[in-house]
Amino acid sequence: MHEVAIVDALIEQVEEEVRRAGATGRVTRLELSIGRLSGVSADAVRFALELLAPGTVVESARVDIRQPKALCCCGACGARTEIEAVDCRCPLCGSGEITIEGGRDMILESIELEDPSP
Amino acid sequence: MKIVAAKKILSANAQLADENRAKLNAAGVLGVNLVGSPGCGKTTLLEALVASLRGRLAPAVIEGDIAGSIDAERIDALGVPVVQINTEGACHLDATMIAAATQGMDLAAADLLVIENVGNLVCTAGFDLGEHVRIVLLSLTEGDDKLVKYPAIFRGSHALVLTKCDLLPHTNFQVDRALGDMRRLAPEARVFQVSALRGEGIPALADWLVEQHAVARSGRGGTSLP
Repeated sequence: MHEVAIVDALIEQVEEEVRRAGATGRVTRLELSIGRLSGVSADAVRFALELLAPGTVVESARVDIRQPKALCCCGACGARTEIEAVDCRCPLCGSGEITIEGGRDMILESIELEDPSP
Repeated sequence: MKIVAAKKILSANAQLADENRAKLNAAGVLGVNLVGSPGCGKTTLLEALVASLRGRLAPAVIEGDIAGSIDAERIDALGVPVVQINTEGACHLDATMIAAATQGMDLAAADLLVIENVGNLVCTAGFDLGEHVRIVLLSLTEGDDKLVKYPAIFRGSHALVLTKCDLLPHTNFQVDRALGDMRRLAPEARVFQVSALRGEGIPALADWLVEQHAVARSGRGGTSLP
């Protein structure tokens, strides 16, 4: 459950971004991107948020998580195929001569806040 | 109002890891993050490496465990400076813990800082500690399918050490399969097959660490994980 540590860091990061932007008002939405090969489970992130969000700036935020796939680049057939998991074979031709690109990053994409009351 | 952040989560950890790396660079120390399952032989490998590196690289060690100081006592018995971190439940070390642990260490007297991470193939993958190289261990008794089942940890490592190779005749571990999978996950990584019990393969790994130390000292090292 390293997702708890990750969400803990995420909340601190959101607080920092909000402070830096000089924003006020509630955070209404977070957009995250969690690569399929990051080793982090989106479900566990949601679960950790339920535990850790109360009493913080993201307490009432909707959280949208995008899960970009990785690319499997085959040296034998030349195919570049999107993959959700690593099986160490080209999904098209079955060759083991592959390299894998991307799908690893966890990114805080954006933070939406409600407009402060006039 | 929308704030477009587009920043990596754990960027705070990454920044602290870079500071740790800078501290090691300034002291001419090669940082090594040793990861692998509980019982894969991290401490035993470390004991064998300490002996093999004697007179070539002066080691210091940080031991990460959920509880207890068994590993630190083993390292201390070798006369190697060691700091024990107890994570009290946390399944991995992070850069903050390493920053704190290195506070009281005499890094100037060391050439090599080995950080033995908490035994775990999942959570340790996500946290840069400020090391120069990450070495992942896989013991033969764990099975040759672990690279495919836990790709993140293998993909981000600079070397794979197959441990307990003296047990090869007693297992169905297919070394070729593991090596092939590692080549696909981390084409640049070095692979070592060792038996710490018999001392086999240890000199090659020790030589590689001496090379990596020279690379780190020349300033060509110090990048984050591949």
